[in-house]
Amino acid sequence: MSKALPLQGLRVANFGWGWLGPVAGQTLGFLGAEVYKIESHARVDINRTLPPFAEGKRDFDRSLQNHAGWAGNGSVTINLKKTAGQALARELVAKCDVVLENFGPGVMDKLGLGYSELCKVRPDVILVSMPAAGLTGPLRHVRTYGMSLSSITGLDSLTGYVDGPPIPMENAYADPLGGIIGAFAALLALRFRKRTGKGQLVDLSQQEGILQMVGPAWMDYAFNGRVAKPIGNRHPLSVGAPHGVFPCVGDDRWISIAVLCEAEWHGLVAAMKSPAWATAVEFSSSQKRVANIEALHQKIAEWTRGFDNQELAALLQTHGVAAAPVLAVADLLSNPQLQARNTFMEVTHPLGFRETIYGAYVKTSRTEPRITPGPAMGCDNEHVFRSLLGRSEVDYQQLVHDEVIF
Amino acid sequence: MDGALTGIRVIELGEGISAAFAAKLFADYDAEVIKVELPRSPCASDPTETHDAGNVAQPADVSRLGDVTRSWGPFPGDVPDPEKSGAFFFLNTNKRGLALDFTCDKGRELLLRLIAEADVLIENFSPRQMREWKLDWATLEKINPKLVMISITPFGQTGPYADWKGYDLNAFHLSATGTRYCGVPDQAPLEHGTFSAEFFGAYCAVTWGLAAVIGRDLVAQDDAENEKSGGGQHIDVSCAETVAALFVGAQNIGGYAQDGKSGTRTGVGMPLAAPATIIPCQDGYVWMMALETGQWHGLVRAMGNPDWAQLDLFDDMFERAQNSDMIYAFLYEWAAAHTKQEIMDLCQANGCPTTAVFTVAEAGEHPHLRERNYLREIAHAALGTVRTFGAPVHLTACPGGATAPAPLFGEHNAEILGVRLGLSVAEQSTLRSVGVIA
Repeated sequence: MSKALPLQGLRVANFGWGWLGPVAGQTLGFLGAEVYKIESHARVDINRTLPPFAEGKRDFDRSLQNHAGWAGNGSVTINLKKTAGQALARELVAKCDVVLENFGPGVMDKLGLGYSELCKVRPDVILVSMPAAGLTGPLRHVRTYGMSLSSITGLDSLTGYVDGPPIPMENAYADPLGGIIGAFAALLALRFRKRTGKGQLVDLSQQEGILQMVGPAWMDYAFNGRVAKPIGNRHPLSVGAPHGVFPCVGDDRWISIAVLCEAEWHGLVAAMKSPAWATAVEFSSSQKRVANIEALHQKIAEWTRGFDNQELAALLQTHGVAAAPVLAVADLLSNPQLQARNTFMEVTHPLGFRETIYGAYVKTSRTEPRITPGPAMGCDNEHVFRSLLGRSEVDYQQLVHDEVIF
Repeated sequence: MDGALTGIRVIELGEGISAAFAAKLFADYDAEVIKVELPRSPCASDPTETHDAGNVAQPADVSRLGDVTRSWGPFPGDVPDPEKSGAFFFLNTNKRGLALDFTCDKGRELLLRLIAEADVLIENFSPRQMREWKLDWATLEKINPKLVMISITPFGQTGPYADWKGYDLNAFHLSATGTRYCGVPDQAPLEHGTFSAEFFGAYCAVTWGLAAVIGRDLVAQDDAENEKSGGGQHIDVSCAETVAALFVGAQNIGGYAQDGKSGTRTGVGMPLAAPATIIPCQDGYVWMMALETGQWHGLVRAMGNPDWAQLDLFDDMFERAQNSDMIYAFLYEWAAAHTKQEIMDLCQANGCPTTAVFTVAEAGEHPHLRERNYLREIAHAALGTVRTFGAPVHLTACPGGATAPAPLFGEHNAEILGVRLGLSVAEQSTLRSVGVIA
């Protein structure tokens, strides 16, 4: 194993807030970059206020709902409402390769942190701006939450039961995914800088990143003028059936089963011990099974109902059928696959309490990702302002006193 | 060309969505991507696999050519044609196509020569399949120590499910997303209606994979245990794991581990606040959202200050949720009289973050995207002019995006085999006659 991580030596100033911005910083941090989230008690990030809290104590540094998504970022507290705070932030940017932010368009400019200002202190800076709909265009000032951002991508219009209304995803899928895309964007710009020596402004529209997910449905519209609707758990291109989740023994227990080719269908029929209905003409080809999918799903549901979902998935796998248990949150820590991959881990927060977060969600063969918990607000203040920026102790204390470092 | 990834060589062995999309993201930014397709699709399954249940597995559909998405459509006029699949087109722009049977010795040798010169290999076959083809990481890192091999599978390279068969749906529902966040209680948990886990996993894969390429020299210098290290490595992505960790795990696992409590789906966007969900309107749906007091007042203004909304009690989003039956009844009534665009415009102008639920057509055709040059028109030999999406991220110094169509089956065989690998026309003709190349 290498002790060096791929992004070692890279420094990132992360003005990102909420869920999306911190995930972008986290990803670069796991890969070896030194990442500082810039935040302040002058306006505490809403994600620090969300329950549940570690040991039940309400505190900005104890939001368990927030911690997994923010782990990997460091934290410095700079009050950007003060011009001295903005100047201090520019001083930090001068020492950074990458700047991340997900405010609305124009906010960084108002804070004296726009791209042209940053170039003055760091000519090859990479600024990754990640607003909802990008920095330009008629929708650039659209107001959304991560949860509703997907409504302007068409994605929400595909989610729901067949013949029913769109059903909302009850949390912001676009937030962590947008954060990943933000990290990818930073890496693209870094590769360009490595080759040309030039930094740049990256105009990342969350809408455009998520729109890629509806690409296949878009092509049906582009070719045939057909506008996709909610499809339940069916195959998005109607390639095969069965394709859905089926009830199993227990409360809200399900198994997912997807059959895309003949060999898999024969495997499923064999697993069901070749019931007579399975030889009916309406199920005799993939096309016919897709056409009669509701009847087919009802028949299969009658069969799955009697089984434990884990056991049934294992049985179907021995017959070459793609099947897996449908997990609930309560299964995430005990599922053998996620356990074997150490998806989740217990860590000690800098303030001393134990908490469970996710670790390296991608595995790498030669480098060991650096997983750090937290951050506590301002946990890197001393290091950044004293060592990195070279402020004297007197200066530093004055900035704290003046609530510039705050 | 001045692309972000100019000069990076990528080989793709992709079937279906995840690997093809990941390689497309490299191709969007001017990496040189060669997509290698088998003459016959193995249907993302092992055609040699025997089934022990008395039924003889039928051979894969012989009409299938190359990547399985060539048979998935959507097709113009719904007429199947392996050169006219929309999914294949969308996922494979800017790539070059090589049709090669790498499951035989001669074909494998040619593939290995390409891999020896590549920076990145992207694949999404099962680990067992890759071992059987002798294309596993242990084999390939000896051939090219600088290689970054990106494997994207439903469950990952390790663990008890590593050799399980799975598709996007299986991976998605292993993440607990459906039971926690999507669907009506007592009815089936739902996926998004697209290949949600595979897109998510692919985005993670390119991010970690590109970082590995950028940091290769650094890692090589520091790899004390292995003097021959070229800094390459194997990037192992489980689509299920990425969603389970980053989405569901992020906001649930800390609380669950401490308190043993977790929520479950309700069918309502935000059950504890109101209004915050999708509701019907005159011509479709809107994502009705007003949380902070200022947003609520904005919504009230947008509705023309109706009497029912004047209660001070309603200034609090949790109080509104306590009275959600009444609130939503009035909102349904108002929304039914207006179009989604009217509601979005009125709300946004008044500081309320409500948005229209765009169809895929409305989203893609929106003038906003046209102004941002997100929609691209690309000429294709079989399809004519195709309108597809641009790159997911706009880099102002090197924008990226689709400029060339998806390759026809084996379209670049002569160029890759002749120019890159130096095979003579006669040698290529021999290979073609024995079915190694198309």
